[in-house]
Amino acid sequence: MLELIKELSAVPGISGRENKVCEFITEQIKDYAEYRIDPLGNLIVFRKGKKPSNHKVMIDAHMDEVGFIISDITSDGFLHFVKVGGINTAVLAGRRVKVGEKEVNGVFGIKPIHLVDRENETKLPSDDDLYIDIGASSRDEALKYVQPGDSAWFSSETVEFGDGFLKAKALDDRAGCAILIKMIQNEPEYDLWFSFSVQEETGLKGAKTATFTIDPEYAIAVETTTAADISGVKDDKRVCILGNGGAVSFMDRSTIYNKELFDRAFEIAREKNIPCQTKMMVAGGNNAGAIHQSRGGVKTLAVSVPCRYLHSPACVIKYKDVESSYELISALAEDLAK
Amino acid sequence: MSEYQNVSLLLKALCAANGTSGDEAEAAEIAAGMLKKYMDVEISPLGSVIGRLDGNGIHILLDAHIDQIGLVVTAIDETGFLKVAKCGGSDARVLAASDVTVHGKKDVFGVVTSTPPHLASKDDEGKAKGFDDVSIDIGLSRENAEKIVEPGDRITFNSSFDELLGNRVASACIDDRAGVAAILRALELLEGKTGNAKITVMFSSQEETGGSGALTGAFSAQADEAIAVDVSFASAPNISSEKYASLGMGTMIGYSPSLDFEMSKSLKRLAEENEIQYQNEVMGGRTGTNCDEIQISGRGCKTALLSIPIRNMHTAVELCDLSDIEETAKLIAAYITERSGTNA
Repeated sequence: MLELIKELSAVPGISGRENKVCEFITEQIKDYAEYRIDPLGNLIVFRKGKKPSNHKVMIDAHMDEVGFIISDITSDGFLHFVKVGGINTAVLAGRRVKVGEKEVNGVFGIKPIHLVDRENETKLPSDDDLYIDIGASSRDEALKYVQPGDSAWFSSETVEFGDGFLKAKALDDRAGCAILIKMIQNEPEYDLWFSFSVQEETGLKGAKTATFTIDPEYAIAVETTTAADISGVKDDKRVCILGNGGAVSFMDRSTIYNKELFDRAFEIAREKNIPCQTKMMVAGGNNAGAIHQSRGGVKTLAVSVPCRYLHSPACVIKYKDVESSYELISALAEDLAK
Repeated sequence: MSEYQNVSLLLKALCAANGTSGDEAEAAEIAAGMLKKYMDVEISPLGSVIGRLDGNGIHILLDAHIDQIGLVVTAIDETGFLKVAKCGGSDARVLAASDVTVHGKKDVFGVVTSTPPHLASKDDEGKAKGFDDVSIDIGLSRENAEKIVEPGDRITFNSSFDELLGNRVASACIDDRAGVAAILRALELLEGKTGNAKITVMFSSQEETGGSGALTGAFSAQADEAIAVDVSFASAPNISSEKYASLGMGTMIGYSPSLDFEMSKSLKRLAEENEIQYQNEVMGGRTGTNCDEIQISGRGCKTALLSIPIRNMHTAVELCDLSDIEETAKLIAAYITERSGTNA
C-alpha cells in the first residue's frame, strides 16, 4: 500500500477537478469490481464478496485535495487565486505550486523580511497580499499558459523519513483511497459498496449524492485526521498520536457517531489485536456528516489515519497506521455485512 | 533557456550544494572545483574559497559569498523534535510545514512543525510562530535522534531548481550562488585574457552572519580594487518598481558613499559602451553586502557593487532571471578587460 499511497498523493485533484485521481483509481480496481461514475464525478464501486451480504455496507474515502483556483492575472503577470478547502495562510508563502493544464511551475511570493518593519516580522501576509509567480513578465505571457479558472495545487516532494514516516501532499485523503483500493483488490468475505467521493473539502457534496445512490444500511468514512502530537503540545490537545493506529471518532463538528459501531470497532480491535485509538477531541468533520443524514439515516463510523500538518504541502503519516486502519476497517466491514 | 545555458548549469549545480553560514565546506568544494579551471585555489582559515591569478598590473578582487541562510539545532526535546535558532536572516513567515535537511552525522529529512487550527488562539491569528515556537519533526525518538543529530548541526531549506516562464528560475540560496555563478561566467567569457592584471577571486564564508569571511579574505588579498557581486531586491506586488529594481532588466550598479564613485561611473560607462543592460541601485550608506567589510579591510580597498535582482529573498523560492546574471558577468569581464589593458 505504501507505493500506492505515494503514487496517489502525487496525482493532482483539487475539489471539483478529481478526474485524474478517478482515472488512477479506476485503473486499480477495474479488474476486480463493477463501477460507475455518477453525475458529480463520484466513483461508485460494487465489490462482490465470497458471500452475499445480509446488510448493505458502504465504505467512503474522498478523492479531492485542498488547493487553489486562479481568479485573475495582473498586468505584470502575477496570478491571484482563491483557496479551495481550508488552508492555513501560514503554509503558503515560500511554497511551490503547479498551475493549470500545462502544469507550469509557480511559487507563492512574499515581500523579503529585510523590507518588513521589526514589529511585523511574524505578521503573515493576508490572502489578498499573496500571489502566485510563474515567472511571467506580462499578462499576455501568462495567458499563454494559464487561464482564470485553472487549478493550482501544492508541488511537494514525496519523502519517506525517520522511523516509518511518510511526507507528501494530499495524504488527506489519498491514504484513505489506498485503503479502499486494497479492500477491493483483496476479495472480501461479503459484498461491499465503495464510494470514492468528490468535493469533501468544499462541503461534503460528493458523499451526499453517492450515499443517496448506494442507499447503505451502514457506512464507514475512511479519513485522515489532524494529529497534534508535536513538540510542546499537552496530552489533552494532541487529538491522536502517530503510531497508535486508526483514530475512531465518537463525535466531531458534523457528526455524532453511532455508539454501537464505535463500541464494535474497539471490540474487534481487541479481539484481533489491532492497534487503534479514540480521537480525543471534538474537532473537524468529514464525509460522515453527509453520509449519516442520507435518506432515512445511516449508521456511520469514521476511522482516520492520524496525520500531522493536515492541509499543508507536508502532510506526515506513519505507514503502520495505514496498515492497522486497513485491518480494522476490513474486519469491521465484514462484521457489519454478515 | 538555451541562450543562458552556461549560467543555468552553473547556478543549478551551485544551488544544489549545502553551505549554511559557518558550515560552507560542501558548497565551497563545488565552487572551488569550478574555479580551478581558471586559477589555483585554496580554502582560507575561515572557510572562504580563494583563487589567485598572478600578474604584475592592477590587483582586482572579485567577491561573492558562498554561504546561505538556514537554521541551527539548539536542542533535542524529549519527544525527539529538534529545537532551533536562525543562522543568518531566516524568515519566520515561511517556516510552517516546510521541508528541511538536517546536516547531522548524515543528512536527515525533516518538516518544520505547523500548528493545527484547533490549537490557535485569537492572538495567533495572522501571525507566524517565531523560531522559539517551531521545531523540526524528523520522525525519530530522542534516543535515535541523538545518534545522528547534535546541537550546532545546521539545517537547510529543501528546494528543487524550478524553471519558470521566460529565463526565470526559483530555488533556495540563489542568494548568493547567483553572484558566484556570475563571477565564474565572467572568467569563462574572458577566456584567460586578463593581461597583466592580478586577479583574486573570493567566494566568501559567513556573509549572512556579518561578513567575517570577506573581512579577513580582503585583508589577505590587499587588492587595489574590489567588485562584490550580491543579490538585491526586485519589484513584485507590494514592492514598488520605482524604488526597487526590475527582474530581467540587467545588472544593478551600486552607488553609495562607501562605494568608490569612479568605479561605479566606469562600470556605467562600460555598460553603455558594450550594450550591457544595467539599472542603478542607490544607497545612502551601508550596502548590507560584503562591500561594507571589504572597503575597510587592511589599508582599505576601492570597492564597487554589482547586484542581481531577485524576488522572495531569504526563502526557499528565491527567484531570479538568468539574463541578469549573464549581464553581470559581461560587465565584470568588460571591467577586467579594460583595467588589465588587454583591449588597448
